[in-house]
Amino acid sequence: MSALAGVRVIDFGQYLAGPFGPMILADLGADVIKVEPVTGDGMRPVTKPFVGCQRGKRAVALNLKDPRGVELALRLVATADVVHHNMTVGVADRLGIGYEACRAVKPDIVYCNTYAYGRQGPLAHFGGLDPLFQASAGIEWDQGPVEAGHPPLYLRFGMADTANAFASVVGCLLALLHQRRTGQGQELWTSLLDAAQWLEADTLLVEGEPRSRPPLDPGQCGLGPGYRLYATQEGWLQVAAVTPAQWRALCQAVGAPELAEVDPAAERERCEAVLSDRFATRTALGWSRLLDDAGVPNEVALDTNEGELVLFDADAERLGLVTDSPHATLGRLRQFGPLVQFSGTPARAERPPPRFGEHTREILAELGLTDAEIDELHTAGVVASPPDPYPWPV
Amino acid sequence: MTDALGGLRVLDLSWGPAGALGVLLLAEHGADVIKVEPPGGDPLRGYDGHAVWCRSRRSVTVNLKDPAGLEAFRRLAGTADVVVETFRPGVADRLGIGYDALSGANPRLVYCSCPGWPEGHRREHRPGWDALVQAASGQQWEQPGWRPGPVFLAVPLPSVAAMWLVAAGILAALVDRERTGRGRHVRTSLFQGVLAYTTQIWSWVPDGGSAYHAVMAKTHPPGIHQQMVFEVADRRWVHVSMMSGLPPRRSMDDVVGVGAEPTDAERFGMLSEAERAEFTARRTEAFRSWDRDALVAELRANHHAVEPIVPAGDALGAAGAPHPQLAANGMVVEVDDPALGRTTQVGVPVHLLGTPGAVRGPRPAAGEHNTEVFGELGYSDAEIARFTTAGEMGAA
Repeated sequence: MSALAGVRVIDFGQYLAGPFGPMILADLGADVIKVEPVTGDGMRPVTKPFVGCQRGKRAVALNLKDPRGVELALRLVATADVVHHNMTVGVADRLGIGYEACRAVKPDIVYCNTYAYGRQGPLAHFGGLDPLFQASAGIEWDQGPVEAGHPPLYLRFGMADTANAFASVVGCLLALLHQRRTGQGQELWTSLLDAAQWLEADTLLVEGEPRSRPPLDPGQCGLGPGYRLYATQEGWLQVAAVTPAQWRALCQAVGAPELAEVDPAAERERCEAVLSDRFATRTALGWSRLLDDAGVPNEVALDTNEGELVLFDADAERLGLVTDSPHATLGRLRQFGPLVQFSGTPARAERPPPRFGEHTREILAELGLTDAEIDELHTAGVVASPPDPYPWPV
Repeated sequence: MTDALGGLRVLDLSWGPAGALGVLLLAEHGADVIKVEPPGGDPLRGYDGHAVWCRSRRSVTVNLKDPAGLEAFRRLAGTADVVVETFRPGVADRLGIGYDALSGANPRLVYCSCPGWPEGHRREHRPGWDALVQAASGQQWEQPGWRPGPVFLAVPLPSVAAMWLVAAGILAALVDRERTGRGRHVRTSLFQGVLAYTTQIWSWVPDGGSAYHAVMAKTHPPGIHQQMVFEVADRRWVHVSMMSGLPPRRSMDDVVGVGAEPTDAERFGMLSEAERAEFTARRTEAFRSWDRDALVAELRANHHAVEPIVPAGDALGAAGAPHPQLAANGMVVEVDDPALGRTTQVGVPVHLLGTPGAVRGPRPAAGEHNTEVFGELGYSDAEIARFTTAGEMGAA
């Protein structure tokens, strides 16, 4: 049995920050039902990000603008432990699936709404995408680095989206545990703004003045001579000489003994210039073996070829860090696997990201509807199953 | 019960941000967290960010190499619901404080391990510092830079992803324990933290073709979001979102004053190279004429979502008022740190309306609660003094 066996999640989210959290809950063993508009999740046309957020779910397509669609949604909620979505403030209430409506049909429901900015306050009515919150949190400033004269630099993959999704997972599990211990449900929320700021949790002010990490160098290599990337004759090497002994060993190993007793933080430029010249004389792999022998922590920076070397890495496969499953339109789909392992938990059969409406009939039947009733709901446009031809790439 | 985790005890053996911040998410929702440090204190205490990582908990010091210290820790673990450690695989077992050693006497124990590399991985015995995981996982190659090749990530992304995995894994196991009565060994790693960030781009299908695999591939210059970064007056910067969820009142270029109303060709990017250069120059000049805060206000008034691009401390108030919405969310908190003085830190990012979380207190001094915690287990002051101060615990 998986850790969240017996936990049911209704996922009304679309795009990325909403659906990603429920995917993690599915990884942890929850039965996640994706409730999708009859027009399809707006992210379906963008194949890669879409499949990255939908693994492990079943999908039902409901028209929430039809009262009968809302009624079906609430019948699903009545069977669930958690409701999760990323609608902007007020939208769920208007649709009839807000916290009060859900609590009326399931008094101990855990109800999670993720926002761009927050639940109330000066900017709560705004939506907005991931880049805003890399900007507000300082991530783009640090990565420029702007202090060294570069423009700010946006990091790929949606760091704030991911952080917000995880914050919502933690919130749902906190509330679910509380519900299991006390019988009390509750409402909770997270935001891209708050979660992104947590990626910079190290930041603090002392008497109102900022204290921060050592800055990234203009070449975007690292934080100091002992903790940075070096370009080599072939490839790049990341060095992490974090103790004085490791710094001395590094200087000896690369043939710069004159720097062994220098404080690398105090003479950053001089040390980096000398070491950069030395590292240019051998390959990254050659240096890595030499530094291993000298006891200096290091790794060659890996070019994964868009992830392929990780997705097909023998250790990653053996340890269950990747999944590989058949997919109706893609043929086969390989992704990173569950991110947390539990003792005593056998591997689960993986469910690929569901097609639009793939489980509409199955889920309505579970609610006790007859085939004739389900047919009639299809005809009336209240629910939908995969159309033929199928208009989306996934 | 007013806290989600009221009555639960967590022992935090971790070093570094992933374990400490993962535990912080539990501490500020009511768990009684006890940081367990070597007698000299956590070696990362000298780093300013440590004051945030390790707030809202108590601290004891224990010499785990001393049999009396090991026994005291095991007795303490008998009172715990959760233990968290970030040693390299095998180290906790060697010290006698691994999952198998502790769960025999306390089968309800949830035990979370978060090393740099997962147990069983060929790198499991190599050092797992954040930057090393950035490099060997491929994360440094995946991010854009101002030159070809890998770039160092200023934010320790493997660690600050793994922090969520630590908290989520522990909580899932605690939910499971309510059903089964048994704890579990929860395992994640900084490497799995990196994988969490690749969800949108690292997938593979055999016949996906170039169109599938090109979606969101790394590009030079960096992709669509980077093109919405604009320099304003005084070498300051803003980032405009491509959507705000609100119907715009005037277009962005109209608000900024780029010139004539944008044509459809401009709107949809169907310009010749020369026309594009001319348009970009006009737009750049228009943005540079604006005071940053005035432009942000004007764009927002016209329903465009925009943020100033700032150093991390600005959101907390380093440059004047804190970010107004961050403050409204209760995310800017004052903490009196015994070592640093009056500090401003980030608040609790998970907002439970029924059982709200809160900062419980500043980072404790190393061993501040030795007498209180071990006294409850029946140890005398003399015994406590011996195993909390003597010797040095070996580094992992």
